[in-house]
Amino acid sequence: MGFEEIVAVEWKSFGLGDLTRYPLFTKEFLAFLKKIMPPHRHEELVFSIVVTARKPREAAAA
Amino acid sequence: MSLTETEIKESIIDTYTKVASNGRLVAERFYSPEELQGLPTSAVELALGVGNPVRHAGLRPGEVALDLGSGAGIDTLQAARKVGPSGKAIGLDMTPEMIRRARANAQAMGLANVEILEGSMEAMPIPDASVDAIISNGVINLTMRKSQVFREIHRVLKPGGRFCVADMLINGELPDEVLNHPTAWTG
Repeated sequence: MGFEEIVAVEWKSFGLGDLTRYPLFTKEFLAFLKKIMPPHRHEELVFSIVVTARKPREAAAA
Repeated sequence: MSLTETEIKESIIDTYTKVASNGRLVAERFYSPEELQGLPTSAVELALGVGNPVRHAGLRPGEVALDLGSGAGIDTLQAARKVGPSGKAIGLDMTPEMIRRARANAQAMGLANVEILEGSMEAMPIPDASVDAIISNGVINLTMRKSQVFREIHRVLKPGGRFCVADMLINGELPDEVLNHPTAWTG
């Protein structure tokens, strides 16, 4: 199995400030993250990425 | 102690059943006003993704598109507009409340080329080699079995079909207290 033409078309930092936009995270969880993560990680906890890829035209069986 | 797959799935369904709108804060970060125009408020205000995969998917009229974890439908509905009446946009989600919302939103837009299915991305209720393009927005990070999801993506895509996934990538290490926190798995 495999894919081809794998490209990361977007790659952005995602920090605590971005998480506050989401109703999925409580104030308590955000405060917990702020406390447990070192300050230099607050602006870049994770990356948001967009990846594209293609299944080969002559794909082998998975 | 690590969470089990069942515990994580139950937590995800519970979270996405109860989630309330946070206004347009997420949608306005990732979608242009033109892309949001004409979409039902419920779809826009329950945008919970981390990117805009439809923008990069290159969808064409007549194609079959599949949206993994379609939620309230913001990306499925945009995909439906791109593939047009001769194509089809399929949304797949495991949360009944989100499925209900997405179906209502498609109906509100008068889109007859939208089908919302209940199921998991680890075992998609989709025939082999039947989809031209797969999109997903902040969803694959929710599963413990990511390799299985990509096996399923490979199975349902037509030869030459493509996928466009927006998701999160951990920057370095996260403490165990974060990795084992239920919210870290549901958000």
